[in-house]
Amino acid sequence: MNTDRFDLGGGTPIITLRDIAKSYWREALEIPVLQGIDLEIPAGAYVALMGPSGSGKTTLLNLIAGIDRPTGGSLEVCGHELNGLDDDQLASWRNLHVGFIFQNYNLVPVLNAFENVELPLLVSGAGRRERRERVERALTLVNLTDKLQNYPRQLSGGQEQRVAIARAIVTDPDLLVADEPTGALDAKNAEEVLGLMERLNTEFGKTIVMVTHDPKAAHHARHQIHLEKGVLDKAVEVNR
Amino acid sequence: MRWLALIWKSLMRSKRRTLLIVGSLILSVFTVAVLQSLLTTLNAVTNNPNSSNRLVVRHKSGLTQMLPRSYEAYLRQQPEVETVCALQWFGGYYQDPRNFFANFASDETTLFQTFREEFGVAGITEAQIKEYLRDGAGCIVGESLAKKNGWKVGDVVPLTGTIFPINPRLTIRIIYKSPKPSDENVLHFHYKVLEEGVSYMKGLVGSFWVRTHRPEDIPRFIERVDRRYANSAYETLTETENAFNLSFVKMLGNIGAIIQGITAAVVVAILIVTGNTMATAIRERTTEIAVFRAMGFSARRVLLLLLSEGILLVGVGGCLGVLLANLAAGGVRESLGMAMPFFADFAILPDTALVCLAGALAVGLLATFIPAYAATRRPITDGLKAIG
Repeated sequence: MNTDRFDLGGGTPIITLRDIAKSYWREALEIPVLQGIDLEIPAGAYVALMGPSGSGKTTLLNLIAGIDRPTGGSLEVCGHELNGLDDDQLASWRNLHVGFIFQNYNLVPVLNAFENVELPLLVSGAGRRERRERVERALTLVNLTDKLQNYPRQLSGGQEQRVAIARAIVTDPDLLVADEPTGALDAKNAEEVLGLMERLNTEFGKTIVMVTHDPKAAHHARHQIHLEKGVLDKAVEVNR
Repeated sequence: MRWLALIWKSLMRSKRRTLLIVGSLILSVFTVAVLQSLLTTLNAVTNNPNSSNRLVVRHKSGLTQMLPRSYEAYLRQQPEVETVCALQWFGGYYQDPRNFFANFASDETTLFQTFREEFGVAGITEAQIKEYLRDGAGCIVGESLAKKNGWKVGDVVPLTGTIFPINPRLTIRIIYKSPKPSDENVLHFHYKVLEEGVSYMKGLVGSFWVRTHRPEDIPRFIERVDRRYANSAYETLTETENAFNLSFVKMLGNIGAIIQGITAAVVVAILIVTGNTMATAIRERTTEIAVFRAMGFSARRVLLLLLSEGILLVGVGGCLGVLLANLAAGGVRESLGMAMPFFADFAILPDTALVCLAGALAVGLLATFIPAYAATRRPITDGLKAIG
């Protein structure tokens, strides 16, 4: 491993964070979670955010994904200054540019695999035929074309996460954010999901930012960024 | 997948809960629709537009007391009066006491003129009227009543008296159609059948139905008639036909207040039940709502989706409730329309149905909006429970 501090290599940054701070309030008490985060992540990077519980890694991921707002600093992702977008604009931006992969898959239980993957396209304005093509393409990519009509309860954990990945990529976003994507999976399924994510990065050029506790999962990334008590501690390039 | 499919599938995530809430909505809308229609029906009885210039003159002591038929001559002489019809409730039945319907002994010479709107006189020919006037044992019946009993013109109808000790055998001379179904559940026969058959009824009658030329003549006429017979052995009580009908409705108590009270209670109860159900359903989907928003659904769009679910739920419940009320109204007309003629007009009118549906939609909107709005205001990260 190399330990060049916060140098994630060259290339055009897709994520630029300048002096980012985030605090939460419990009544009158301010709880700082992130402080002075300066970070550039180039397009096509695969970054694992690591750190102990409470270090702020998920908060940082949420800020990058545009589902939370910083209390200080500026943040440019996929060519947009996120602080300048209102809630509706931010929702459209997320739909276009970000795919989400959650630890617990978060599929909608009353929709089958096809319909779950189709969901983000409902707000993208895509026509029916285009939606069908895209959904089929995404499910082919995750090797689940035989499970189109299956409901989440009829799928294994690994299959559910693959459906969730198909849902994340169906709008062809530039950025994939994953929060402990293998946290609920056994080793075999975890390896399968990580392999899929690696493929999305190498073959399809998706930028991936993944939060994980698991060193094995982090080893699939090309860079690891460690947080400690809300500040960036170190960045590590993974040698494979 | 279309939006409607998404809304429907979301609603069907807990089929039992959805069915129970739809069931309670059906019952509530049904109850409100039936009660409001009952009120409308009763109001129609006491606000009959055909009654605007008709009056009833009866004994001041009550309907069981008789008036001398000689009063008729005085009533006819009044300048405001167009016609006077002597009328006596006979209260007979046909074949079976349960086969009850309204039947009257009435003055055949003035009946058609006094009640021309009810008899749809335009449809009755001069020849038919002449035939009825000629046959002292003739009778006229409404089409609904005739259909129910399978009668046709020329058939003999034996009536069994319950108030008076005679059992007249009457021949149907006219079957009339009326604009209102309740007016078709009636039989009239010649007054002299009663007068000749019941000795103590000779020269007496239960009431006079008076038609004035103009509605504005009524107050003057009432005042004059009742003053003339004040302190006599046969004091009169003269009132408009609507007031006369109202006295029957009043026997049921302050039914309007009771109905409105029950309606208010039902609306409040269903608002609480629906609100609680929607709040629970939305709370269970906190994470899902956060995922939708993360994927790019705006808060407004999610709010609209949730409101659509609430509206669809109450829409289905409301429509089924109104449909059921309509079916019940048909049953009420069938089963009670003969015994209590005003029930023959009992129907869920479009206005009532619309008010019930609008009320149900308002309840659905209100019950859904508050939890849905709160859910869409909640930060996405809270919904995902993902503070690292």
